[in-house]
Amino acid sequence: MSKFEISRREFLKASAASLFLAGVPISGYTKDKPPGTISVIVLEGGMDGLSAVPPFGDQNLMKLRRGVTPDNFLKLNSFFGLHPSLKTFSALLARNNASIVHATNFPYTLRSHFEGQNLMEGGGLSPFSENTGWLGRSLDLANLGGRALSLDMPLILRGNNDNDNYFPANIRDTKKQLNSKLMNALAMAHNNNEADVFNKLSKKYVGSSRRDPASLAKYAGQEMAKENGPLASVIRVDRFDTHAFQDTDMGNFQLSSQLQVVDEVIAGYREGLGKAWNKSIILTLTEFGRTVRENGTWGTDHGYGSAGLLAGGAITKSGVISEWPGLANNEQFEQRDLMSTIDYRSVCAACIEKALGLDHDLIASKVFSTPKLPRVYDHIFSQPA
Amino acid sequence: MNEQFRVAQKIGLMFHHDTPLPEDIKTWAISQLNANSPALGIKTFNSKISPWPKSFQPDLNGRIKLFIRSAEIEQKLSSDPNADPNYKLQEKSDFENFMGNRDVLKFAHRNIYGKDQVRLRFMSFWINHFTISGDNSEQVSGHAYDEAILANLNGSFDLMLYKVTSHPGMLTFLDNWVSSGPNSKYTLDMKRNGAQAGLNDNLARELMELHTVSPAAKYTETDINNAAKVLAGWGTYMKTPLDELNKLAKTTDHWNMYKEDWAEPGNKRVLGKTIYAGKGGLRQLTDFLASHENTILFLSHKLAEHFISDNPSKSDINYIASAWRESNGNLDQIHSAVIERAIQSKEPKFQWPIIWLFQTLRLSKATYFHGWDEIWGPCNHCPDDPDRDAKVNYMTSRNIFKEIGQSFWHSRQPNGYSSKKDDWVSGEMFDRRIRFAEAIYNAGNPQFTSDQIMDRIGAHKSTRNLVKSMGMKEKNRFIALMCSPELMGLEYV
Repeated sequence: MSKFEISRREFLKASAASLFLAGVPISGYTKDKPPGTISVIVLEGGMDGLSAVPPFGDQNLMKLRRGVTPDNFLKLNSFFGLHPSLKTFSALLARNNASIVHATNFPYTLRSHFEGQNLMEGGGLSPFSENTGWLGRSLDLANLGGRALSLDMPLILRGNNDNDNYFPANIRDTKKQLNSKLMNALAMAHNNNEADVFNKLSKKYVGSSRRDPASLAKYAGQEMAKENGPLASVIRVDRFDTHAFQDTDMGNFQLSSQLQVVDEVIAGYREGLGKAWNKSIILTLTEFGRTVRENGTWGTDHGYGSAGLLAGGAITKSGVISEWPGLANNEQFEQRDLMSTIDYRSVCAACIEKALGLDHDLIASKVFSTPKLPRVYDHIFSQPA
Repeated sequence: MNEQFRVAQKIGLMFHHDTPLPEDIKTWAISQLNANSPALGIKTFNSKISPWPKSFQPDLNGRIKLFIRSAEIEQKLSSDPNADPNYKLQEKSDFENFMGNRDVLKFAHRNIYGKDQVRLRFMSFWINHFTISGDNSEQVSGHAYDEAILANLNGSFDLMLYKVTSHPGMLTFLDNWVSSGPNSKYTLDMKRNGAQAGLNDNLARELMELHTVSPAAKYTETDINNAAKVLAGWGTYMKTPLDELNKLAKTTDHWNMYKEDWAEPGNKRVLGKTIYAGKGGLRQLTDFLASHENTILFLSHKLAEHFISDNPSKSDINYIASAWRESNGNLDQIHSAVIERAIQSKEPKFQWPIIWLFQTLRLSKATYFHGWDEIWGPCNHCPDDPDRDAKVNYMTSRNIFKEIGQSFWHSRQPNGYSSKKDDWVSGEMFDRRIRFAEAIYNAGNPQFTSDQIMDRIGAHKSTRNLVKSMGMKEKNRFIALMCSPELMGLEYV
């Protein structure tokens, strides 16, 4: 079969990401200021953790997935490597400002994107059981608001009435500030949530007009760095569903380019946060990992365990946190997927605990409805809470 | 709102100003399912409404020829770094060969000017249900919308399912065109030569999860794997020359591309059903899935959620499901049941951004989308055009849909857009409605005032009060009307 050339148009499309930022000034909150900020990068499609963080020390890696393992990965230690697209992230690892959790995921094993995405954002016990998200519920518990930088309001942030969203508009011939009389009249005419939305629009702040991932992340960081700025943000990056030509020229090096987007988002946050970096925590989420074996089409199919990337000044000791399950056939989940040995909800809970100052038991029971959720805080954050 | 417009908002696109309002709205709505309307549109901003020219609607092979031509030009230009330093030749080629821009405008025109408003709403529902997205699919996705979905809207669901599943747009979007059976001749030959080949389960998974039975059917990974084996061999690589395709699949019809050497030998079992080996296996599989009880329940719920209520009653779902069973999946009968229950339910239904946009344009008779002779793109290929600056600043139809937050031509996940209000209520989404209402007023030259529109639709008192509170400035009155709870399909205070 003939090779695909990388066309300019296709390359541009491949490089683009649906991007979402979050975090907004909240007027009138009365609680003591929480200790940090939390930002979530949602990786849609199921990120291949075994390619992002290849466990080259496992002798089965190259036997089972040579074609989807990057040649020039960076060695982090004697066992784990890092995808070459994650340059900023690797520098942060070197500075003890980043960590990786490997062989982890939300406890969901049925490999549907849409059930998996609902669970990773909703944090429920079963798919579609929650109408709100784990971050929204956490902000509600902390009596705080958040803001999503996207056109829609992602599920993960729902659950707090003070949440808002923002995504730069490109439509011409409009004033930057919307007519407040009109907004007020619309707010009065509408019911329930819709009225709140129009009310907020009348006070809307119009900020950065660039939509590329790094710019939006930088803007989010700048907003979060402000006194009384937002404490939570969410960015969504898609195209991790790498069934075919996962990281080949024929697929326009899809995984490499999307991991590069993630790296740019982290860099954007770093730049935008400035001094506020020291109290920040950024973590990735994905609905599932991918199959251990590459499939017949230079890609990988839906799996279970993946890897989570954590960055931010709130981390002061880098490392790869893992109870490595192994890649041998009998060590895989259903002889197919990387087993998940760490419940990623525990990782989310630790980040909430660090950023928002909430008690782990409260998070476990009220946010994740799992009172016995293990606490992994001490493994991620070297300083006591 | 009077009954005719209430129904037209919920399951249609609103009546044009010159359309007489039907007395029997239910009979009218059901007759709309068979309304025979060509794709209507405008040639230029000021021209009369007429059918889209045939030359802008090539058939599948015509589209693929343009795609190949575009690829050849691209390859030629990329081989010489000095050939096209400002991408002008490339953009000219995109303009001439790339179907996406034409298709998106045709879709907009069809919805704004069409006389078959109810039929078009069902078309959009199924386009969304069978989401096709992604780079190369875009050249043919418009063809799938017209020929696999709209053309089969009055037939049986099983036929529509088969035509969509086997369409090159879907087979490309969900990677099936590269999938080969693990024991196929092709895979074994490739492996013997040290090369890679094998199964890709992406389409099989979504066929079961999203298009038919849903996870409620409790299928297993083995079922998915076996469905993928049924699908192995189906699909076309759009850049392959026709003579090569003929060798591979003994056909040059891209919609019928089954490569026997890539197919998995032997029968397969999917959800307990034996699917026989060979090309006919796919139709057997889609027919089986189309009539499966879980498909009937899943899609009856989805239709009810889209047209009747965010939280449809069991009674509504059962009514649609009964029509499905009794008619063996006849879409006219199923859609009629949906229409009956949507009319019966007095609950308002929040409208998608694109539907609201079309409804706003139809009610006000504003002209916001340009004509088919005016598809300029970035216009770098026409540097000597005296209107270039104006054209460069013109928002393309593609970008209108992107900007309003809903586009059938942009990257999205295979589960499509939600029908539920909660997934759309956000500051930015409402901000876009206000901005578009303002832009339509400023640039679209509406032919009717807010008062005239309110009189025609029989606007509710609260809507009239809202508009009145804006004073005499017609622009603000227009925006307030279009963003009122009533015109957005929301409950009002």
